[in-house]
Amino acid sequence: MAAREEVMAALKRVPGPDGRTPLPDSGAISGLTIRDGKVFLAILIDPAEARKMEPMRERAEAAIKALPGVAGAVVTLTAESARPVAVGPPAHGPPQRQDGRRSAAPIPGVKRIIAVASGKGGVGKSTVACNVAVALGRLGLKVGVLDADVYGPSMPKLFGLTARPQLAPDGQKLIPLESFGVRVMSIGFLIDEGAPVIWRGPMVMSALNQLLREVEWGELDALIVDMPPGTGDTQLTMAQSVPLSGAVIVSTPQDLALIDARRGIAMFNKVQVPIIGVVENMSYFLCPHCGGRTDIFSHAGARKEAESLGVPFLGEVPLDVAIRENSDNGRPVAATLPESADAGAFIEIARRVAETLKAGAPGAKPAPRIRII
Amino acid sequence: MIAMAWPTDITVTDKGRILEVVYEDGDVIRLTAERLRVESPSAEVQGHGPGQKKLLVGKENVAIIGVDPIGNYAIKIAFDDGHDTGIYSWDYLRKLAN
Repeated sequence: MAAREEVMAALKRVPGPDGRTPLPDSGAISGLTIRDGKVFLAILIDPAEARKMEPMRERAEAAIKALPGVAGAVVTLTAESARPVAVGPPAHGPPQRQDGRRSAAPIPGVKRIIAVASGKGGVGKSTVACNVAVALGRLGLKVGVLDADVYGPSMPKLFGLTARPQLAPDGQKLIPLESFGVRVMSIGFLIDEGAPVIWRGPMVMSALNQLLREVEWGELDALIVDMPPGTGDTQLTMAQSVPLSGAVIVSTPQDLALIDARRGIAMFNKVQVPIIGVVENMSYFLCPHCGGRTDIFSHAGARKEAESLGVPFLGEVPLDVAIRENSDNGRPVAATLPESADAGAFIEIARRVAETLKAGAPGAKPAPRIRII
Repeated sequence: MIAMAWPTDITVTDKGRILEVVYEDGDVIRLTAERLRVESPSAEVQGHGPGQKKLLVGKENVAIIGVDPIGNYAIKIAFDDGHDTGIYSWDYLRKLAN
C-alpha cells in the first residue's frame, strides 16, 4: 500500500497551480487521505481558475494512480474561501485585507465600550443599562446606548423613543436618536413594535456590526451596550468585534439568577473582558402602604456572589413600582425623579462605573502591539 | 480576576514565516507559520469534535499575511493560502509553543 511520502514524491513531478512550482511545494495541497489503497487528494485553487486547473488535476490523478499498490485516486479541486488564493512564493509587504471584513478595531470617537449583561433574562438588565447611562450623563459624561438585544429590543420603550433614525449627511451612517442626554441606537427603531426579528446567528452578527459601526456616534466617553440574556452569538460577537473596556453584570439576589450571572462572569473571563462589577437589582421591596420591607428575591445574594468571585459590587436597586411605571412610560427615573432614592441608587452605581473607567477596570491591560516586519 | 497569559508584543518576521509573541511575564515564544497553519483552531482544521481534525500537509511554505486583533483575547491570522478563520487566543498561542 502506498504511503503518504510516496504519494508526495510522485506529485513532485506535477507542477502546481502556478504552472511551475511542484505541487507539494506550492502550498496548494489542502488534504491527503489514504484509505484501503485509495488516495484522496484535495488541491486548493482560486475558484475563478477552476477550468484552467483541470489539466493539473488530471496529471496529479494519473501520477498517483501510476504508483504501485494504489487501488484508485480521487483528486479534487477545492476553494477554501471566496477570496483569491495566493499560490507560489509568499506575498511580501504589508498585509492586505481585500475581503472588507472588519477586525476588532475600536470605534472612532468612542473612548470606552461597556457591556451590561446578565446570565438570566428578566432581571432588569435593560432598565439598569438605561438608568445607569442616564446617570453617567448626569455625572457629565457623554454617553451612548447600543441596544444589542436584537430579538427583544427594549431601549426604544425605556427611552420613550419612537422616531426613525435619519441618515447622516454622508449618506452612509445613521444618526442615533437622543433622549435624556443619551444617544441611543436600537434595531427597534428600524422595525415596527410588535414585529418579530426571526434571524439566525449570522444575521444577528451582521446587524450588530452595523449598529456598532454604521452609526454616527460622535464623541462618546462611554458607549453602554445592553446585551441580551445568555452567553451566545451576541455576546461572542461583541467580545470579538470591539475591545470591550469592561462588563457590568446585573442579577437579582435569588440563587436561580446568580447561577446564570456566574456563567456570564465566567464567559467574560474567557474572552478577557474585565468585570467592572455586579449590580443587585430587585434587591428588596418597600411596601408603599405599610412601609414594611420584603426581600422578595432574597437579599444581598449578588453582593455575596461578587465577594466570593472577587469582583467589585456596584450597588443595590430596589424593586419599586415607580421604576417599573416610569420605565414603561419611557421616563427613566435617573432623569425624571432625580431626587428619589431610586435615582440615587443608579447615580451611585454610575459613579462607581465612572471611577472604574477612569482608573481602568481591574485586570484591564493595554492591547498588544501587532507588527508585521 | 484575569490572570491568563497576556502578550505585550506580537510580531511577524522572516517574510511572514515566524510569529513572535512577547508575554508580560517575559516569556518569548516563536512559532512558524506552518505550525500555526496546521494547528489552526478553526473548525475548518479542527472539525466539530474529537477525531474530526484534518491533517494538513504541504504547508511548509505558507506565510502569514495579516494579523487582526479579536476583542481583548485573541488574534486572527490570515495566511497566504487563503485560510483566515482561525482565532488564536493568548493561551492557545502559548500552548502551541510548549
